[in-house]
Amino acid sequence: MKSFLKTISLHSKEDMEIIDITQEILDAVQEAGFDLGTVHIMTKHTTSGITVNEGLPDIEQDILEMLHRIAPRKHNYRHARFLHSDGQMAVNGYSHLRSAVLGKDTIFPLHDGKMVMGSRQTIYFVEMDGPLHREYVVHVLGE
Amino acid sequence: MIDLHSNPIHIRELSDQDPKLLDYANRIYGLKSSPHSLESHLHQLDVAGIDKAVIMPIDCTTVHGGKLVTNEQISWLLEKCDRFIGFASVDPRDPDALKNLEKAVKEYGLIGLKLDASLQQFDVTNEEYAYPLYQLCTELNIPILFHGGMSWSPIGIAELSNPIKLETVIQTFPSLKVIISQFGWPWVQEAFMLGIKYKNVFLETSILFSGTPSDSVRQVLAEQIGIANLYRSLSEQIVFGSNTPRVDPKRLVWAIEDLELDKKLEKKIFYKNAARLLSLSGGMDG
Repeated sequence: MKSFLKTISLHSKEDMEIIDITQEILDAVQEAGFDLGTVHIMTKHTTSGITVNEGLPDIEQDILEMLHRIAPRKHNYRHARFLHSDGQMAVNGYSHLRSAVLGKDTIFPLHDGKMVMGSRQTIYFVEMDGPLHREYVVHVLGE
Repeated sequence: MIDLHSNPIHIRELSDQDPKLLDYANRIYGLKSSPHSLESHLHQLDVAGIDKAVIMPIDCTTVHGGKLVTNEQISWLLEKCDRFIGFASVDPRDPDALKNLEKAVKEYGLIGLKLDASLQQFDVTNEEYAYPLYQLCTELNIPILFHGGMSWSPIGIAELSNPIKLETVIQTFPSLKVIISQFGWPWVQEAFMLGIKYKNVFLETSILFSGTPSDSVRQVLAEQIGIANLYRSLSEQIVFGSNTPRVDPKRLVWAIEDLELDKKLEKKIFYKNAARLLSLSGGMDG
């Protein structure tokens, strides 16, 4: 079995933003050149997420609004203090919780050289504390 | 909107130019997170709604052996982006301080001076090295932003930035425009007293100690000072500042908005007071 890992970066432009990364993933899988295996996509950050859903603007907006409802900005979070290890204020508790709800990764099967996806599935990088420079990885295990 | 207080120390292009900046940022300023690109920085201003950001260095050469961004780098950033307004910094105990300040203003177009007595470890009332700087700022007609109150730097000495020390300076240089950052926290009442007594004193909003900026700004402005007193006595003298990169600037904007002030006062805080202080002319509707 072989391993292919690609790190892809992006600049988010909003505080909360849902970004279609499907084509970037398909390109990375093609670059790996494997016939069979598994494709794992993971964000490297704790205030962002990876999710899969139908690629419609209203669904995208509903996902963001759901995250606002689940972890609203105005709430008495414990994670609201100076973080000595960063030298900055750590005041984004809601961003971490939104990330925890959505999850950091997703997996697709790879078969006959193609990533197996439903026709309505779109892969998203979800920014929850932007704008920031972000990275996610595409890891293909197979042969 | 004008952000009157930000430090570009975390802009990667600057540390790419001078890798020592990363060491100074860590050792002197206590900033340990990774720098980000100028592009990301500008996106952060966009999301916060900030049209213009005052960027400022801190020259700590005498006591700490380094500069947290140089006047020349501020000048370079001004050339890169017209959304920046530049303040200078000089080390008050540097024998060339006056010459350096004059050069920064006249050659680089910087329009204010940043002094941080906690970090630069100097006495703001020293007549030998500090007063000539204040005199020059008066002659150049530029404001001084004094770091006020607590310093988050691991080697910063808060006592040196107690705003009460500035009263003799304000009386000696009555036309000097003085900006006190973070409302002088924890010496809020002292800063408030200076603000209500002296009309050339401006109080800046980057109040960050615990909780979110919305929590700490509310605690100081609504509970310690009282919103009614902002309207009565300080409406022309509060200026918005974020103290980026201690916090993402959007959070200080939200902190002011969360106070739900009258829109007229909010506009003064976000724009008008700073525009008047910096003698900026039209073009922005705030």
